[in-house]
Amino acid sequence: MFADMPALNSACHYFMIFVFGAFAVMFILCLIRMIIGPNVADRLLASNMIGGPVICTIAVLGILLNETYLLDVGLIYTLISFLAVVIISQIYIGVYREKNQKQELREKKLAEQTAAQAAKETAAVKKSEKREEN
Amino acid sequence: MSRKRPVEEYEKSFAFRFKRWMSGEKDPFIGEVEMHPQAEPEDPEAAFRFVEEKEYREPARMRIDAKASTIYSRGYIVMSIIVCLALVAILSLAVSHLPSIGDAANPTNNEVGKRYIEQGLQETGSINIVTGMILTYRAFDTFGETTVLFIATCCVMMLIMVENEEKRKKLKLDDFGLEPLDDPILKIVARFLCPIIFMFGIYVVLNGHLSPGGGFSGGSIIGAGMILHAAAFGFPTTQKFFNEHIYVIIKVSALMCYGLIAIYFFYTGANGLPSIFPKGIPGAILSGGIILPIDICVGTEVACTIYAFYALFRRGGL
Amino acid sequence: MEILNWIRFILAAVLITAGLVFYAIQFIGVFRFQYILTRMHAAAIGDTLGMGLVLLGTTLIYGFSMASLKVVIILAFMWFTSPVCSHLLAKLEVLSQRHRDDRCPVVKAEDIGKMHENAEQEKEAEA
Repeated sequence: MFADMPALNSACHYFMIFVFGAFAVMFILCLIRMIIGPNVADRLLASNMIGGPVICTIAVLGILLNETYLLDVGLIYTLISFLAVVIISQIYIGVYREKNQKQELREKKLAEQTAAQAAKETAAVKKSEKREEN
Repeated sequence: MSRKRPVEEYEKSFAFRFKRWMSGEKDPFIGEVEMHPQAEPEDPEAAFRFVEEKEYREPARMRIDAKASTIYSRGYIVMSIIVCLALVAILSLAVSHLPSIGDAANPTNNEVGKRYIEQGLQETGSINIVTGMILTYRAFDTFGETTVLFIATCCVMMLIMVENEEKRKKLKLDDFGLEPLDDPILKIVARFLCPIIFMFGIYVVLNGHLSPGGGFSGGSIIGAGMILHAAAFGFPTTQKFFNEHIYVIIKVSALMCYGLIAIYFFYTGANGLPSIFPKGIPGAILSGGIILPIDICVGTEVACTIYAFYALFRRGGL
Repeated sequence: MEILNWIRFILAAVLITAGLVFYAIQFIGVFRFQYILTRMHAAAIGDTLGMGLVLLGTTLIYGFSMASLKVVIILAFMWFTSPVCSHLLAKLEVLSQRHRDDRCPVVKAEDIGKMHENAEQEKEAEA
């Protein structure tokens, strides 16, 4: 990058490689979070989180290789990760709402059934008490 | 003087029968081919009812007949692991025998690559040798790729698209009442971002011959912008400027334009022959011969493909 | 003008290391918090300040050129879209889970008034 000062150039080079290594560790951590996360929202958060270090890596790579056109790729990456979150969250909200509605209906039916059974049992108990009195 | 054919004569002609077959009103085989009479399905509405979650959530393992034994299912798993590992081993062995990267004696370092690198700038007029190569030296190959995109969307439309209004209502394809559609935050941000994304996509398409980019990547960006618009504002708003009619026009004309330019370029433009598309000064936007018009065609093609896939899988129609 | 270049590089290195520190805070937070809605607070730290500092450092190294303008555009785009992502993720989590009260007890607006009334009545009863 600093072509006319070799000492500074090598210092910059080694520093950028160290930064590179730090970002590489972050990718693995994001992957771990994606595998562990119990819900869909956790995994979606991890996939959005991986975009930040990627863009920083691309900028650092542009310095290392002295090529500036790589930054176009960074902009595209931001766009794609944002779009992924938008679409997947929309779809999964619909899926989960449907699931929850069906579960609520089932629970209502169960509650009604248990209430009906309880009513029957109390009626039977009352009848048996009346017979004993009589 | 033209005369109108009487209806009975028209109904016997080939054109009427062909049209009827294409529209699906009458099955040409029923009544004409010897086959067993088809039993009416007991429940004609069965195809349109939502399947209960339990029925399609069964894991694949349970569909194997329980009598046929656990030995088969366990053996299946063991064999599949063995086969996968064997494949991985064989392929790794094959890869290890390949020549090392960058070796000067590789078969890929031949005179074709040298010619592209040494005379690419002078013959194509583009600074980006890769774009110059795929859009001038190998323009026909790229034409095949663009045709593949076209065929892919045609196939997906044939399989998934549901046009009939009643069928759409029965299958509840437009019923997105469970998904959030008017999110004001998303709308405001999309209203601000979509023009920027489109402009950036057009920038990448037009800069195919100056910097890495070109038709394919620029087209994907434009397609992503349209997906964002459809996701934020809903499909009815997007259909005002991009519905099936416009999609058909754009796709077919882009492909045909590419084909005509490529046919013209087969006979001119190389080895010093003159052509309409000037090579220009390398580094200017209007340079590079046929690269710029072909980039635009490919860009629109890819954008339409990406948005069509999204719309077809989400909504069953464009 | 050698010293200027050195100053530029050292300043950029300091900014980038500060950005890495904020990224480390983000990852520690994401792994230690137990619930998605709190994890999102930690994730936003890296997206805003972490990325901002790292990209500012790279603009310093690139100098005054087209590349720095592109980096600033990327940063602006990211800062516009990151809050929308958080909003949609929170919506997904809130609308999908029904039994959330052990992690994140939610009190309805009508009940807050009743809670206050009960607290006042208890105070009056004690006094």
